[in-house]
Amino acid sequence: MRRSLVQSILLYGCALLLAAFTAGPLLWLAVMSISAPTDLTEVPLRWIPSQLDFSRYAALLSLDGGNGERFLSALRNSILTAGGATAAALLLAIPAAYAFSRRQASMVLLFAFLATIMMPPITYVLPLYSTFSSLGLLNHTVTLIIVYTAMLLPFATWLMKANIDVLPVEVEQAAFMEGAGTAYTIRQVVLPLALPAIAATAMLSFLVAWDEFFYALIFTNDLSAKTLPVAIADFSAGRVTDYGVIASVGVLATLPPAILAIAFQKFIVSGLVAGSVKG
Amino acid sequence: MLGRRQKREKWILLAPALAVLALITLIPLANTLWLSFTDTRISALPEPVHFIGLENYVYALTDPDFQEALFRTLYFTIVSVGLEGVLGVAVAVLLNQEFRGRTLLRALIILPWAVPTIVNAVAWRLIYHPDYGALNSLLFQLGIISDYRSWIGDPATAMNMVILADVWKNFPLVAYVALAALQTVPEDLSKAAAIEGAGPWKRFCSITLPWIAGPLMVVMVLRTIEAFRVFDIIYVMTGGGPADSTKTASFYVYQEYFNYLRSGSGASYAVLVAGISAVLIVFYYSVTKRQTAGGAA
Amino acid sequence: MNAAMTQDAILKISSLQKRYGEVNVLKDIDISMAPGEFLVLVGPSGCGKSTLLSCISGLTDISSGTIHIAGRDRTNDEPADRDIAMVFQSYALFPNMSVERNIGFGLEVRKVNEAEKKRKVAEVADLLKIEHLLHRRPAELSGGQRQRVAMGRALVREPKLFLFDEPLSNLDAKLRVTMRTEIKRIHQTTGASIVYVTHDQIEAMTLASRIVVMKDGVVQQIGTPQEIYNKPVNAFVADFMGAPSMNLMTGTATREGEHVRLQIPTPEGPPLELFDYGPGPETLAAGDTAELTIGLRPEAMTDLGLRSGGMDGRTLQSADCLLDVVEPAGADTYAVVQLGGTEAVARLSADAPVAAGQRVPIAFDLSKISYFDIASGNRL
Ligand SMILES: Nc1ncnc2c1ncn2[C@@H]1O[C@H](COP(=O)(O)OP(=O)(O)O)[C@@H](O)[C@H]1O
Ligand SMILES: [Mg+2]
Repeated sequence: MRRSLVQSILLYGCALLLAAFTAGPLLWLAVMSISAPTDLTEVPLRWIPSQLDFSRYAALLSLDGGNGERFLSALRNSILTAGGATAAALLLAIPAAYAFSRRQASMVLLFAFLATIMMPPITYVLPLYSTFSSLGLLNHTVTLIIVYTAMLLPFATWLMKANIDVLPVEVEQAAFMEGAGTAYTIRQVVLPLALPAIAATAMLSFLVAWDEFFYALIFTNDLSAKTLPVAIADFSAGRVTDYGVIASVGVLATLPPAILAIAFQKFIVSGLVAGSVKG
Repeated sequence: MLGRRQKREKWILLAPALAVLALITLIPLANTLWLSFTDTRISALPEPVHFIGLENYVYALTDPDFQEALFRTLYFTIVSVGLEGVLGVAVAVLLNQEFRGRTLLRALIILPWAVPTIVNAVAWRLIYHPDYGALNSLLFQLGIISDYRSWIGDPATAMNMVILADVWKNFPLVAYVALAALQTVPEDLSKAAAIEGAGPWKRFCSITLPWIAGPLMVVMVLRTIEAFRVFDIIYVMTGGGPADSTKTASFYVYQEYFNYLRSGSGASYAVLVAGISAVLIVFYYSVTKRQTAGGAA
Repeated sequence: MNAAMTQDAILKISSLQKRYGEVNVLKDIDISMAPGEFLVLVGPSGCGKSTLLSCISGLTDISSGTIHIAGRDRTNDEPADRDIAMVFQSYALFPNMSVERNIGFGLEVRKVNEAEKKRKVAEVADLLKIEHLLHRRPAELSGGQRQRVAMGRALVREPKLFLFDEPLSNLDAKLRVTMRTEIKRIHQTTGASIVYVTHDQIEAMTLASRIVVMKDGVVQQIGTPQEIYNKPVNAFVADFMGAPSMNLMTGTATREGEHVRLQIPTPEGPPLELFDYGPGPETLAAGDTAELTIGLRPEAMTDLGLRSGGMDGRTLQSADCLLDVVEPAGADTYAVVQLGGTEAVARLSADAPVAAGQRVPIAFDLSKISYFDIASGNRL
């Protein structure tokens, strides 16, 4: 269908507006992170930095100096926690997904899985806190890995199940006919076929764990285990007077998920859509 | 026989996942339920614990502060999910048109989704800053406001500003789901309606919207469940203030636990919040089931 | 089937039933198969062939009955323990493994030593002429090559029984014929016992040493291709087997002394009359007249009369028929004649000088005639 001029203007106007609304806050965050501290306290604001100042990034990425150490240890903890939990969740989710997909495990049970992560974390947090506290496990990366594994597991199971569902079942039957057991078949036949799905599931799981704040806030209290979200909340809560530092931490924490999201956009969007809509 | 072996195998395959979920969610849930009937407190020294029946619940249900927190949560949930729905569908319709730069724009809107919740909160807190915030400066320079405002320092606007930040981060999910659904709307249907003389708005209401209603409903209910447990963004942006104007249910329970150290009564609030969540979750289940049943047909 | 043969049966299925919920997909199946036989299960789509094969393989649990393989009760055994191999319709090759590993997978699982495995795979690859493909992946193979690999995977373990589920249905027509011959060759060289499922009756006729015709989960007839073709037990089998299928005409039969008078109505005038000097319908008593279905295959309705004129008047009888449609088909020409409420097809020689609308003498070979009950469809 041909568009009239008015329609075209309207269309591109809306598109521009959307682009501005979406990119604006991010752009501003980036600009803040490289503006001179004095630029950020002008009234009204100076939108274009008077000079580019990358010193905050340099400081954050070097171990000497308080901010750098705080940021880098939080980065390490976040990578360990999110990575560890993702690996553990997949390890548990794949057999479970296989049970749901190919061994007639009840869908009600799968939904119960999902229901556990839909509940507010305040439902679980106090008994977990007491238990970890009495085990001396507070403020440990391992603790967060355990909790995040449980948090990622239902969604990972669900996504993997949906992906195993569409694999050709005859290939597995052939493996059984040839005498392979279920474990061998999953490892040698199913997993290689499900590799793209595993990658997508791992990526989404990693992003969810990377984003988690509540449990990390409660279960960690110093450099040895605090993750990035908690560290950022700390930065923002006042110790830092230069807003540019907060902005640069924000930019750095956003880079990994943003790069993953853009690079694997199709993957992620289809995973998201499937994950949120199909039952 | 295959059937019998499969049954046994099913449980072996499920066992590790079930064990982890039981340990980290089921047992704590039961524990919280138990706590809610006691007067337990968090303390360094062991204190005697008493079973006090429904006392915590009686108190919680008559606590006006908690009721207000619930209403605030409800307000947050309804307004932010509502806006995300409207904005999400509008964006999806826009991105379903053909225009130059569409691919780029589609990629661009995944960014807010990718921004970590805490970074989102921090960024908007900076944007809302009463003295050096971008929002004040922008609106002032455009001549829309004549005085700088304290956007999240004013009880009258704080909640709505938090909602705006939340909507910014979460509309992409709704938009992507709506877009995926829109792409399955048969072109013939819309064309036929156009030939019948239906205008664009009427076509949208009578054809497009009903077509995407199923998936849209599912994602909105999912967002509702998420929004209802809102905590992170509140913690960073306002800390529940000013004057408790953004203190939501989860935040309320958090304070009861970790500021006032009353685990017993905190647990009863938690159970009540969980109860409401459970209702939403069951609702989610029923719409999802209807959706898959309808989709398969 | 004599008693000894049942004893030594490679496969014996007794009173097998399979239900999915309320639906009875397989009803009281009894099949016995001798070693070295090529047994073809044939029937229309959805009749339960794949389900039956799946029950034999153990991939599907049966509701009741027993399955013996090579004399042992395998009803409750795992697929892998049944000493069988299966070739799937979709080939079901492992896409992530080389052809060599695909073929050797069963040996790999059974921890056969490397040298032995290599030797056996090479042997099978030689038999199937796929030595040059051993290092490729399934995705790099043509349909026919994948088919061979799938067969190789089945053959390499030398199981007691092979199961094939419509192995040729994903191939194009020409390749299908080639592979059909190939399968037959392999059966002859290895002497393997094969249960083979197809919905294609030509495949069934060309491959089988015995055929099992199924319909709606019920075995209709078990017999050699000749038995099935010449003496179908009911109208369904008669209709299903053979292309073009048997002409099933409604007419009347009257037993008159030493012959049976057959009258087959024609739309254009007096009924066609034929005399069966054979035994005729068994149930027909002397002097009785009955309405029934008269079955004659197209090759029993020919133009022999046009060419030789030499009718013996007993097994070969001539009658004039109005040709409705004439369809040259290369080796033969098919002519459609309106007879007994059906479009009967006669098979004429390719050079028969006939055209639609002509009345020509058609030779009916009454030695090939079948009679069926109109109501039940059963052979009389
Ligand atoms: N898993 C199943 N659940 C329910 N019905 C089934 C199942 N598998 C097969 N059927 C039914 O059993 C009948 C026979 O199927 P099948 O054995 O595949 O037929 P064929 O191979 O002869 O085409 C069909 O009507 C089919 O719908
Ligand atoms: Mg079949």
